[in-house]
Amino acid sequence: MKKIVDVSLPIGPVHPCFKEPARIKCETAGERVIRTEVELGYVKKGIEKIMIGRPWQEIIFLAERVCGICSVVHNTAIIGALEKISNITVPMRAMYLRIILNELDRMQSHLLANYSYCYTIEHETLAMYLLNLRETVMDAIEIMTGTRIMAAYIVPGGVRTDINREIATKICEALDHIEAELPRFVQMFATGPLIALRSKGIGILSVKDAKESGVVGPTARASGIARDAREHELLYTELGWHMIIRQDGDNFSRIMLRFDELFQSVHIIKNALAVIPEGPVRLGNRITSGRTKHTVEAPRGELTYDVELDENGQVIMISIQTPSIMNVDAGSHAMMKNLSSIADVTSTFISADPCIACAER
Amino acid sequence: MTLLQILKNIVRKHSIHVCYVNTGSCNGCDIEILACLSPRYDIEQYGIYVHNNPREADIILVTGTMSAQWIDKLPDIWDKVPEPKAVIVIGNCPISGCAFDRPGALIDPPVSKHIPVSAVVPGCPPRPTEIISTILNSADILFENYETKTERKP
Repeated sequence: MKKIVDVSLPIGPVHPCFKEPARIKCETAGERVIRTEVELGYVKKGIEKIMIGRPWQEIIFLAERVCGICSVVHNTAIIGALEKISNITVPMRAMYLRIILNELDRMQSHLLANYSYCYTIEHETLAMYLLNLRETVMDAIEIMTGTRIMAAYIVPGGVRTDINREIATKICEALDHIEAELPRFVQMFATGPLIALRSKGIGILSVKDAKESGVVGPTARASGIARDAREHELLYTELGWHMIIRQDGDNFSRIMLRFDELFQSVHIIKNALAVIPEGPVRLGNRITSGRTKHTVEAPRGELTYDVELDENGQVIMISIQTPSIMNVDAGSHAMMKNLSSIADVTSTFISADPCIACAER
Repeated sequence: MTLLQILKNIVRKHSIHVCYVNTGSCNGCDIEILACLSPRYDIEQYGIYVHNNPREADIILVTGTMSAQWIDKLPDIWDKVPEPKAVIVIGNCPISGCAFDRPGALIDPPVSKHIPVSAVVPGCPPRPTEIISTILNSADILFENYETKTERKP
């Protein structure tokens, strides 16, 4: 069968809209995009391969360097897997601190994702507002852990350092600032007529397509699928977490869902800081041999670590399943099909918040 | 020094166009470059514009460990940049490979093996203030009397 394709247009790998290298090949007929294909592989380093045969003390730092944006959640996942293998109990205060840091990380990641989308649809004012708000969250992370990115805060059996009352007050002040500023930006995004033209009804991922392609995280929840790894953690439910779902599945609902989750994260951290119990933050134990699978909810979806250790604490087998690869695939097969304009390709790709470094490792 | 050269020196100091190329980094350095754009650090008040287009760049910021896919592509990008041009590498990865430089990894560090590098910013990742100060400090030296420099850049 002969295809009616005018121009095959490549976008990337170095493109003003992309933070990371990826190449989108678009087949266009006039201005209409018939189908797209995402070409990955530009940042493949083979991290899982160099992890094999190394002791677990080196693995936790390599796991953190899988992704710079969500480094905290990779740290949480690998430590969770190690603790599951060796039956290490975590003190209650350390569990609360882990949740606080994870939610702060989720906030900065969601703000960065929404910044990228606003920048891609050329609304630079809102993008800069959101990026400036992200600096407030980064300050809170820096006060808590000592550095902005790659904190290595979570260790087997607890967390590295405790927080005192002064640090808790500063985090609360940062959250108050976000709660005061963010509604204005959400209002700007929700009611802007030009933003609605570029976002509403574009890049629709229907429930059927979403279920077939197995999308996770905010991309799935914006298409009406209730899928979140946090629902299995009791402490999150106690701190006021509930599933946020939107039904439309277009670019607009994906971004608005991230805004909703930002408010929820603020709520969870404030609750955690209010009821955090006193006690030790770090207890010791030995790492033993065994194999396990551990799943946590990363900012982009479910993150699974499958780890096998021998009796010396060296890694025999490790495999990491990151959320972005499903979302990127769903993007190319369902979301970016039959778009009315070539300008919507980049914004639809960015709206699923693809993390190429996570996907390729 | 001709009047034209003096004029060029003044203008080049206040208009530095930047393109960043991710050659296999973990995103940590890239989001620190993005943080430079935010109103708190405000990279544009110093006359630095992040265009992310090699064809109109003066300085290329390279992050990442030089993965196998980029070995033939990065010299191409370097050729596309118009003169005067310079490369600043951000983070430990392009300098030494950082934690990834192990047997079996699909990388080929350092970046200076493939394209000429003018300045380095070590750190995993470096802070936004360090990135801004490196660009500002090195651009003055690199682009001053660029045409009349005796040793040509390779």
